[in-house]
Formats: sequence, C-alpha cells, structure tokens
Amino acid sequence: MYGWTGKILRIDLSNRTSTTEPTESYIDKYLGGRGLGVRLIYENYKPGTDAFDPGNPLIFSTGPLTGTSMPGSGRVDVTALSPMSKLRAKSNFGAYWGPEVKFAGYDHVIIQGKADQPCYLWIKDDEVEIRDASHIWGKDTHETQKAIQQELGDPEVKVVCIGPAGEKLVRFACLITETGDAGGRTGMGAVMGSKNLKAVAVRGSGGVQIAHPQEFLEQAIQVVREMREHPAYQELSNWGTVRGVQMMYGMSFFPVGYFEDVCWDELLEKYPGTEYVKKFCVKNVGCFNCPNRCMNFLSVPGIGKGVTSCEPFSGFTGEVWNLDMDLFWEATLLVNKLGMDSSEAAACVGFLMELYHHGIITAQDTDGVAMDRGSREAILTTLTKIANREGLGDVLAEGQKAAAEKFGPKAVDKVDLVKGMAPHAYEFRAFKGTALMQAVGHRGDPLPLRGSLLEVDWHHAPEWFQQVAKEQFGDEEAAIPSSYKGKAMAAVISEHMERVPDSLGVCKWLYNLFIYQDVNIATRFFNLATGKDWDSAHLLKIGERVRNLERMFDVRQGLRRGDDSLPKKFFDVPLSKGPYKGAVLEREKFEQMKDEYYEIRGWDKETGIPTREKLVELGLEDVAEEVLKKDA
Amino acid sequence: MYKTVVIDAAKCTGCRACENYCSLKHEGVCAPSRGRIHVVKWEQQGIFVPVSCMRCQEPACELVCPKCATRRDFATGAMTVDANRCIGCLSCVFACPFGATFLDQETGKILKCDLCDGDPTCVKVCPTGALSFEEVSQETYLKLLENADRLPQLVREALGQGEPQGTTPAAPQEKQETQEAQEGQ
Repeated sequence: MYGWTGKILRIDLSNRTSTTEPTESYIDKYLGGRGLGVRLIYENYKPGTDAFDPGNPLIFSTGPLTGTSMPGSGRVDVTALSPMSKLRAKSNFGAYWGPEVKFAGYDHVIIQGKADQPCYLWIKDDEVEIRDASHIWGKDTHETQKAIQQELGDPEVKVVCIGPAGEKLVRFACLITETGDAGGRTGMGAVMGSKNLKAVAVRGSGGVQIAHPQEFLEQAIQVVREMREHPAYQELSNWGTVRGVQMMYGMSFFPVGYFEDVCWDELLEKYPGTEYVKKFCVKNVGCFNCPNRCMNFLSVPGIGKGVTSCEPFSGFTGEVWNLDMDLFWEATLLVNKLGMDSSEAAACVGFLMELYHHGIITAQDTDGVAMDRGSREAILTTLTKIANREGLGDVLAEGQKAAAEKFGPKAVDKVDLVKGMAPHAYEFRAFKGTALMQAVGHRGDPLPLRGSLLEVDWHHAPEWFQQVAKEQFGDEEAAIPSSYKGKAMAAVISEHMERVPDSLGVCKWLYNLFIYQDVNIATRFFNLATGKDWDSAHLLKIGERVRNLERMFDVRQGLRRGDDSLPKKFFDVPLSKGPYKGAVLEREKFEQMKDEYYEIRGWDKETGIPTREKLVELGLEDVAEEVLKKDA
Repeated sequence: MYKTVVIDAAKCTGCRACENYCSLKHEGVCAPSRGRIHVVKWEQQGIFVPVSCMRCQEPACELVCPKCATRRDFATGAMTVDANRCIGCLSCVFACPFGATFLDQETGKILKCDLCDGDPTCVKVCPTGALSFEEVSQETYLKLLENADRLPQLVREALGQGEPQGTTPAAPQEKQETQEAQEGQ
C-alpha cells in the first residue's frame, strides 16, 4: 500500500502474544491516525471496563502521512479509556517515535492485557519482544530511554515511556519521548503503568511507500519554501512559543492563578520568559522532518537540559503566580522526568494555592507546606509528592475532585473542571467561541481550534479577521471574542478541520492553525502519497464521521448535554480588570450557543446525543444500533 | 570549480529531513534508513551531527574498492558507485573514516551522496543552514576545517566528557540572519 503500511499490530501482554491484522478495510471511512484510532477503541473497548483493567486497550495511531517527507509528519495519536474522565482519552505527541513505528511496518499498535511483572516492548520490524523491565522500573523518563537504548545496543532506538508517576497510577500521568515531547493529557501514562508496561521501544528499517514520489518531493520542497516565508514560522522557529505566551497574557487570553485573575501587572511588566530563552536556549528544535522549530532546547547550569514549548510557559508561571524562571524550568523538567501532565499538575498546584489564599485550607492540610502563591517549596514539593503518591500527593494523584472532596464543600465549590479534567488554561469569560469549544469538546480539552485562534488573531487586525471569519465560518462575528454569534458554526467547522491533520498523522499547528489555515495543502499531500483522488470535502466529511463516533463512544459511557459545561466561576465572577474588564459568560446565551451547535450537528438538543438520522447519514448504522437502542 | 556540501553540526536540530528527502529523491520512498546522509543524535544533550560523504581528495572508498566501482564524477566532484561493477564486499563502507558510506539493507546497494547531480535536495530542505552548498574555495576550506575541529568537542560533550560548548548560544536575531543568508542562496 501507499501511505499506510497496511498493518495493525496487536499485542496481548497477558498471553505474551502478538498478531497483525489489515488496516485496509477501515481507511475509506476513518482514514487513519486519530480517526481510525477512534474506531479501534470503539470496537476494542468493552463498556464497563475500568481504565486500569487489563481489558482497557491502549492504542497508538499513526496516519498515512506519518513518516513521509511532508513537513511536520512526526505525529502519533494515543487513545484508551481515560482514567481521568472515564470517557475516550485523546493525546497526541510528536518527535520521532511515530515515524519509527511506520518504518517498522505498522499503522497502529494496540496493547491489551497486563504483564505479570514490569516489562517493556521491543518492536524491531517484524520481531516483537516483551522484555523484562524490573531493572528500569522506578527510573525517570530520561534515564529510562537511555537505559533501553544502551541495553539494546542501538542509540537510534526510539522509546516512548512512563516515569514514576505512571508506575504509581497517578491518574494524569503522561507518556514521554525524547526530553519533553509528551502524550500529555488524559492519563495515558497511568494506563500504560496499569499494564506493568514501562516503555515501547521501536526501530524500523523500512519506509513509507509513496504513490507519486516525484510530485510529492516537489510539493514538499515547495511547502518548505512557503513556510519559511511565513511570519508564524519565523516567530516559532526563532523564539518558540515564549513571546506568544507573553502576548496572550496581554490580551487576557491566558488567566493568572486558578482562573482567578487576569492582567497581573507584575507579570505583564516583566514576564521573564523571553529573556530566559535568550539566555539559556541552545537552539530551537522541532519534530521529525519538520522545518519549524517550535520548542526551545534549554540548557541551564545546575538545573538541566531539555525541550519545552507552550503550556509549561504559562502553567508554571502565571498559573502558579511565579516569575522566577529557574523555578519554572525546574518544575518543567521535574514533571517531564516524573512523567506527569504539566497542565493538570500546574492546575493542581494552582488549586491548592487558591484554597490557601482564601483560607479554605491551611498548611496543616498540605503536609505542613504553606501553599503561598508562587512559593518554590509549594510548587516543587507538591509535584514530587503527587508523582510518588506521598501524603496529600496520594489524594491529588486521584485528581483535583478527589482532593476537593477531602477538603470539604467549600473546596468542592472552588474546583474548576471540565469533564473531570483541568480545562485548557484559557480565559473563557472574554472569549465566547473558545468557551463553547471547550464545553462541547470531546475530552474537555480540544483546544486550540482554528475558530478559537481566530478570536485571538482578531486583536491584530479586526476587520481583516472578520472577513476571514465570514469566508471560513460564514459570519463576521465569529472572529469577535465578545460576540456569541456565529460561534456554533465556527466550532463545528473547526472540529472537522482539526480531525484531518490528526487523522493524517501530521501536525495541526502547520496544517490547521498557524501556517496553513485550511486542509487543502494536506489534502494534496494525501492524494500524492496514497494515490487516492479525494477532495477536501471528502476529508472533512471523514472529520465529521470521526467527531460523531467520538461522541457516540462518550454517549455509550453516559455523557449527556449537561456534561458539556464549564465551571460556574465563568458565569458568576466577572473579570476584574484588563481589556475585558467586566466580561462574564451569560448562561442563557451560552446555552443558546450550545442549542445552535447541536442543531448544526444534527444532535438532539435535549440530550446532546447524535440522532439516528445523522448517524445513518454518516454510515454509522451499527453504532446507532448498538448505542441508541438503550435510549429508544 | 566544484561545489561541495558544507556541514555545520552546531546548527543541526536533528529533524532528519535530509535523510528522508534524500531517500525519497533517490529511492522513491520515505525511508530515512535509506538516505545517503545520516544524523547522529544525542537528543538529551541537544547535539546532532549530520554525516555524509566528504568527497576526500584521496578517497579511502576509491582506493579500497577491488573493482574500481567507486569513482569521482568529474562534472560535480561527487564520488559515485557504479552498481554494475560493485560486488557488495562493503570494503568502502568499512574504509570510510567518517562512516559516511552507507549500505541499503533492503537491496544490498551502496548508498553514497551523489550531490543530486549538482543540486543537492538536502540543502534545499535543511531549515537551519546546517547544510549549505558552496564553491570549493580557500574560505570554504577554512570553514570545513573549523567545523571538523568542532566535531570532537561536540562528541565529547555529548558523552558528558568535556566542557560544555564554549560558544554562547546564538541570539535569535543572529539565527534569523543565518536563515536569510541561506535563503538568499
């Protein structure tokens, strides 16, 4: 086959067996990557299975373009049942592991069962070996990768692994490859830990077959040239995301603390990130076959080396009231080595700080550590305790809700979660479309989407971006942050767009958000690589099918309209300052946006469940049959 | 006058685009393992060293070949391997002091940089200017020497045996200039 390798690898850790099955029958409807992964989890997960049960399949999905010469082809999607949300998990990471899986000859890897003792997987082309990992159990993610490469005698083996947090089943433990590329959200590290699986090591000698190699090469060289001219490329490749973060703080898009404040004067005046990057960034680096270099490789004497990008820059600064960049870097390296989702971990710390600040908890509740805003001790000890499940960390490892319940009703009242997880740290009061996308999103965290970024872009050139919004989403107001109009359509179209690069196995930053803001280029690459002749509308239709199947998986888990919501803070407490002073979500208008969204989607407004007609239209009759009959 | 690919490892970010495009161009498949250039990576140290044919003045690969299959292409200066003469003894692979003569595991063929007949693909797609294509001149020669001198230190540092790179990291402004300079070519 061209593009796809044509094989799905299935490994059962309980029986110590591995088999392969063909990919081909799925691709017309689900494409690959995330889309096909959704179908695989839908078929392989048996309702009622606990996230930590051996029966919960952990699925890695590359797409037909992963590993090709298309710039930004390093992505791989991960899914399972999430131990955080009890819904479908979704995580996506870059770097070099995904392409290596393709070179070894697989589109997807499904891992089931549970090993009776710590092990790691060694996939070398056709050979699959389950190896003892007792000697690396307990090691951090950097040490683990090194130890495995040494043991296998090949420094080019690519490893994705868990750290101590995953071993201890911290519910938001993540997967790490290289120094800081993470399958961050929804607790994939914990699922891997529950299988006694420390790492998956891969080495492939093959490649990805291309239907039209000459044209594909020319197209790829052309796109590299175009990208270099793009301002977003130059910003990302020279600075990474750090200056963008500073800008986001300026426009109240990023909150300060636990969604408590915006426009923290001190932070605005002297956000120290940019200076820090200037001083300690050895070079900017990126993922496989990508000319963009959106990560900073920092080397700080006495602290350590590694890469970082976007979320830690706000998570371990503004979110925890911290302006000390050494502390930011220590915390970032710490979560990466321990293997924890930096977004959720930062939110945990921010939550404790808010409770402490308002006198709801004292130092006694947090093992004697005062949770002062920005406190070095508070941040670092909390992170370590969570990963090791020590003291309060053992409760926090179960998630913020569990911790809140321990502290009592006042704390429960304060906790800000969407579908069981920390929402993306964006300020939803001022940005109405972003709020809608967060609320209805499949995992409580689908951001950023194109429609959401448009609300940010709007500040730079309002009229221009209103025009863009009209062309792309049918309504000028879709770009205006404070407007509720046109947001539902923007959400629907953005969601379909996002699923195209995710399913092709390429980077959505390049083919959705920052460089190319539609899926046309990605479609052209897809056709040249696979020999198909599909248009963008065809791929977007697959995006819609995938979106609906994701929803149906969650509906099967019990998700309903009421779960598509945001913490009440966003409706009750207006912003106290900044350019959006006074902004708050109006509940009625917010619910109207949702109505509109369900209507466009063809979902029932009362329940938020896709209608049978919609599912039949999308060729999901079997899903309608299985899931809807209970509600009929 | 020949032109040659100048490798500056200090600028390499390890993206492996060069390997992948090389394979697509020559073998029609995206398989970095079949590229004629290869990036040696120490990702935890942020050190990446591209390795490819250096077109030596007295090439070990040519001297050692029992069938005279490896010869210089006097149009481009590239060392080429005549597949019809090659008997697959791998002498050239082992003789190359840079480890820059590769074996295609799939076909048993020797993979050697042919400079894409004077228009190297890897240089076109290298995002940082770690690879550049320059006239062989006194200046280029000095640059090659300088880059060669830097290599052992990078390797020592990667293995944790040396002082960290004495160079202060290039400020972003400078990086931008480099990029522009490269695009100007």
